[in-house]
Amino acid sequence: MSDSRLQGLWTGLLLLFVSAGAILPTATTAIHFVDAGIEAGITLVTWHGRSDKPHLLESGGAGAALLDYDLDGDLDLYVVNGWRLDGVEVVDRGGNALYQNTGGGAFVDVTAATGVGDRGWGTAVAVGDIEGDGDPDLFVTNFGRDVLYRNIGGRFEAVESDAGIDGWSSSSVFFDGDGDGDEDLFVTGYIEATLEEVLQAEVGLRWKNTEVMRGPFGFEGLANRYFTNDGSGHFSDATDVAGLDDPGLFYSFGVAATDLDADGLVDLYVANDSNPNYLYRNLGGGRFEEVGLWSGAALDHRGLAQAGMGIATADYDSDGLPDLFVTNFADDTCTLYRNLGRMAFEDVSAAVGLVEPTFDPLSWGTVFADFDLDGDLDLFVANGHIYPQADAVPDVKTSFAQSNQVLEYVDGVFREVSAAAGPGLAVRESSRGVAVGDIDNDGDLDLVIANMDARPTVLRNESSRLGEWMIVDAPAAEAVEVTADGRTWRRQRVRGGSYASSSDGRFHFGLGRITGQLDVRVIWPDGAETELPRVTPGQIITADQHRE
Amino acid sequence: MRKLSVAALALAVLCMPAWAFAQESPAAMVGTYDALADAILALKQAESDFVRSLLVHHFDAAHMHHEQGRPEEAARDMALFANEGDNAVAGVRKRLLDGGHHHNAAGEAAGIYEPGYVIVTRAAKESMLAAAAAMRQAGNEEAAQAAWHDFMEAASSLLHPEE
Repeated sequence: MSDSRLQGLWTGLLLLFVSAGAILPTATTAIHFVDAGIEAGITLVTWHGRSDKPHLLESGGAGAALLDYDLDGDLDLYVVNGWRLDGVEVVDRGGNALYQNTGGGAFVDVTAATGVGDRGWGTAVAVGDIEGDGDPDLFVTNFGRDVLYRNIGGRFEAVESDAGIDGWSSSSVFFDGDGDGDEDLFVTGYIEATLEEVLQAEVGLRWKNTEVMRGPFGFEGLANRYFTNDGSGHFSDATDVAGLDDPGLFYSFGVAATDLDADGLVDLYVANDSNPNYLYRNLGGGRFEEVGLWSGAALDHRGLAQAGMGIATADYDSDGLPDLFVTNFADDTCTLYRNLGRMAFEDVSAAVGLVEPTFDPLSWGTVFADFDLDGDLDLFVANGHIYPQADAVPDVKTSFAQSNQVLEYVDGVFREVSAAAGPGLAVRESSRGVAVGDIDNDGDLDLVIANMDARPTVLRNESSRLGEWMIVDAPAAEAVEVTADGRTWRRQRVRGGSYASSSDGRFHFGLGRITGQLDVRVIWPDGAETELPRVTPGQIITADQHRE
Repeated sequence: MRKLSVAALALAVLCMPAWAFAQESPAAMVGTYDALADAILALKQAESDFVRSLLVHHFDAAHMHHEQGRPEEAARDMALFANEGDNAVAGVRKRLLDGGHHHNAAGEAAGIYEPGYVIVTRAAKESMLAAAAAMRQAGNEEAAQAAWHDFMEAASSLLHPEE
């Protein structure tokens, strides 16, 4: 080869590299996750019907919960399971599983010993303390009768209860709706369906030139219900008297409870599939008012209803008010509603860069979390299509199994960094529920993702640490504020959220590069505050209102 | 006895002259259907009138709040006008759609109306929601007036279509 031709080849290669660099995403990130599920011993495959999913029920998947059921200081894992079908036969009634954390993120299956292996067609799990005795209880929603599990010293007892829906209940949340100090329960309903209809279902909806499952249009919605607690774990239906009715019989999925208008009362937000979302403002005295359509948080910026699935709630812009992020169907964006105060919200998805990265995937569980401890909140989004037939459609950008996403918040914009966020983000499943928490108590936040017809993904956080951290374990607190170097971080209690799942109830703070000590302020439901001055970062501290 | 009656009826039909089965729909049934059509069309008009009265309610409330210098409250009713009511009304709309009733079927197919909407077009809704958002964030009288002006521009033609 002549010198000139060799020179031309090198020049061409150089140009190729330069142009590739200009085209390919160059996002780098400190965030790094590895899939530690098998290593941790989380091997349960969760089933959701048949492989071709001819009925809508087979598309919804389920969730998981991170909770410290044995009060030993580390997070255990509850996994919800559906049923496996073959044709018109039920071939495996699944069974939920409880994994005990034996320290450092290793788990052992304690389902049988603790008595929580419900074999209903499970959809979701909520964690709450129904008797105020200090240990976490469970509410499992099913396609069929829901189950309330009371925790008795680390063993569970399924209790007879009026709480729940006998149908396809899709999510639930414990929260103090009437301000009497105990945890009430809200349960979302999706559609009316019978097992016979599920077993006999056939694909029949034309979608991108292929036949897929029908719905949700054409199905009757199943009403959401609200149950008040008498303080001893006995629940009564108070849906109508509280104003928490479901006037549209909308197709409800995710639900989150938190104080959105800073009035000290816990409000409720419900993500509805293909209908406007509900926002119930807590008026006090056990009464709510549905304000979704005037609040700006029910529709997207065009005024259109989307297919709401999951919800993340946190103060992403550090203005003191919790914002709402809602995941939606494929070929549509997820929506970030910025809280303007006094129950007014603004769709800022485009302004913060969320339109492009969230348009193609079909998104479900989602959480705000500071994964790299740099002091601001990032987003995690679990994805997966509902139609297995998507794999055979050539013009579809997505498939049944999809990659999950990490969106890092940098300079006011959420930036897609999934491809650079480690092998854990390369896992492709059809994911649904997500729970976040510090599983190994090392100060950073790990993730558990429930998948369709596969084992859950456990993402261990191995990010480069860009700052200090602090965890405040205060189960009864409404909010915690941490101040350092003149900056204050606020975390407000959020119950429920994500999709069909329940996350670590401790307050986690990434603090960035701070110097010196922190001042911690714990805010209790009655407005009282506990000051904890000069706390050294990098530790888990506990706070109890009645043990100062 | 019943078998005998059926046989007698069959015999009578067979013996009927051809003119007794003239190939046209019975006039009495056509008349009834015509009257039913009046009722159906009147019902559709009644639906329009009813939804318009709902809009008038939200318009009047928004106007009052705006006049009294309460932009947040005005914004809420402007948004409810744009959405043809709150989520309870949306629930009624969903029930009608589930039952196969589309008030503006052709307009929906053409992308002019959202499913089930009776008066408010997509374009009007978007501009009125933008006006409501501007009203909510109006920091002064001038900004509130501008937001109200934008809202009025879309709303008045919906309230008074004949003008």
